[in-house]
Amino acid sequence: MKLGTYTFLWIILLFIFSCKKDLAPASGCTDSMAFNYNSLAITDDGSCSYEITNTMEGCMDSLAINYNSEATIENESCIYFSNTPYVIETPYGFPNMNIPSDNPMTVEGVALGKKLFKDPILSANNTQACINCHQQNFAFSDPKQFSTGIDNIQGVRNASALINIGWNTSFNWDGSSLTLEEQAFEPVTNEIEMHNDWNNVETTLNLHADYPTLFKEAFNIDYIDSNHIVKAISQFERTLISANSKLDRYLNNEEQLTISELNGYAIFNTEKGDCFHCHASQLFMDNQFHNNGLDIEPFLDLGRAKVTANASDNGKFKTPTLRNIEMSSPYMHDGRFTTLEEVVEHYDSGGKYSTTVDPLMKKLGIGLQLTNQEKIDLVAYLKTLTDHEFITQ
Amino acid sequence: MKKIFLLFISILFFFSACKKEEGCMEPTATNYNSEATLNSGDCNYAPITGCTDSTAINYLATATINDGSCEYLSLNINFKHYVDDIELIANEMIYTNPSNDNYSIQTLRYLISDITLHTNNGDETLLNEVHFIDISIDSTLILNIPQINYQNYTSISFTMGLDSIKNITNLFLNENFFPSFVWPEFLGGGYHYMQLEGDFNTVFNGYTTHTGGTNGIDFSFNKIFSITDITDININMEITNWYKNPEIFDLTTDGIMGDINKQTILKANGIEDVFSVN
Repeated sequence: MKLGTYTFLWIILLFIFSCKKDLAPASGCTDSMAFNYNSLAITDDGSCSYEITNTMEGCMDSLAINYNSEATIENESCIYFSNTPYVIETPYGFPNMNIPSDNPMTVEGVALGKKLFKDPILSANNTQACINCHQQNFAFSDPKQFSTGIDNIQGVRNASALINIGWNTSFNWDGSSLTLEEQAFEPVTNEIEMHNDWNNVETTLNLHADYPTLFKEAFNIDYIDSNHIVKAISQFERTLISANSKLDRYLNNEEQLTISELNGYAIFNTEKGDCFHCHASQLFMDNQFHNNGLDIEPFLDLGRAKVTANASDNGKFKTPTLRNIEMSSPYMHDGRFTTLEEVVEHYDSGGKYSTTVDPLMKKLGIGLQLTNQEKIDLVAYLKTLTDHEFITQ
Repeated sequence: MKKIFLLFISILFFFSACKKEEGCMEPTATNYNSEATLNSGDCNYAPITGCTDSTAINYLATATINDGSCEYLSLNINFKHYVDDIELIANEMIYTNPSNDNYSIQTLRYLISDITLHTNNGDETLLNEVHFIDISIDSTLILNIPQINYQNYTSISFTMGLDSIKNITNLFLNENFFPSFVWPEFLGGGYHYMQLEGDFNTVFNGYTTHTGGTNGIDFSFNKIFSITDITDININMEITNWYKNPEIFDLTTDGIMGDINKQTILKANGIEDVFSVN
């Protein structure tokens, strides 16, 4: 029994000693204020360090647009994505603009679209921007009959003026595009226009110094793709609103028209001139396609029928707005007329017969039979549709 | 002692056997007790499910829970166009009008407004405020009203064009007939009622029978017709009749929009027998 007791005590002693080994005095930083303070250390070995060696201040929230993955200190600088709605003011007598729900107007989107519209970066050789053929001082149209692309090849139709196009229900002279976004895809890759390809455009823009940030701000995207490029351009195009012409001010009792302009107003708005059926409402267009008796068959350009493949659409073209018509010469889909006088002369002559000529061209070969003064008055009236603010600002 | 015990037991049995079972004795109730011999008067009934909307065809007056089975009257109004009783063929110079001109019809567009169903006791249901019909757009030729109150309708009425309350510039800016139906402010404003266009005599002569409220005068008119089938209604336009009865109307290459006399004739002819319903 005695031996057993001793053995037991011995084992306990061994145990305690072995434990004591672990608790043996340690050396380290003993200053609790230090970054590397060791609470177990008994002897200070002079290793105390009082600063974090690798620090970077920044936004540490990955949801923020300025998230800094290398930041180690949150400095509360995080900025979250928000863009500013761009409000379209509907002019008097205009319907609501039909804005696609997947491309709401924002201040950032419009500004980006404006920059893209003016930037030749969209063209293959960096020489041609949208604005080259849609020049502001010509009401966003081309004073040349046919625009020339980057390879010096001419098109076959006159570049459309971009005026109040947010209210258009189709685009191009033949209505081949149903939305502005769809339309904007086309000139970039068109062989006789910008002759680029979208992969190339995307690569160039993504490597650009400014565009990635601008697209981030407008759409909160990290990779610039063609869809967002056309969205931005379309947003800008929807802001090209003209509703402050002399006529608008006259209708608003702010300005008086001359006798000649008033005579022209009456010719335009009665069946004497019968201009108003197609150039209808404050939009001065009807969103429809007509054959206005320019040519006999066979037609050089089938127009609307190229889209619908329907022979009853042969030779029909989309009615353009007459706003700023003074500035958007030349006229007709093929830019055949240089002056408004020539245009009035065409309608006064009554136009030519073809199977699809519009019934509104009622007196083929006879025409309106306006007097010279009436023609002058009509042209004077058309010039009251010029909006100087629109073509300069 | 034993006997007394047995007697006690039997009395107990007797009483328990005689005790009447109280409960709901109505078989349709949810708590119906088939063994009950005494009606407790606390029967519970299941709620009756069915269509609880009184405007539906299958409205069940006793139903307390709507089971989503309601079916409503769906109405199609078809707009049909005839020349001399034969369905219109557009774009061909195959017709002769009452003043012996050959003519074709290339464009026919018009507005029908305030389409209303009536019952014998004077109840009315407005189906549509304004409907635009264009023979070149098939979807405009049928007006479907998916859900209307079920009543015993016996007649339908509508206005050709827009009455003076509706015929206001900028009132219908967002409708599908804007801007092509705009009537110039210079001629009184508002909208065209109808654009009927084509050639006459030769393909070089166009006519444009455009009607509307010119110079502020209301030329719209209201028609009412009795109906039997209220799910499928045809509103028929006999185009030739715009040009006759009571007065023959000559086609012209001149515009008639500002011509009060011509608008008056067209209204009179229109009221007479241009429209029919079946």
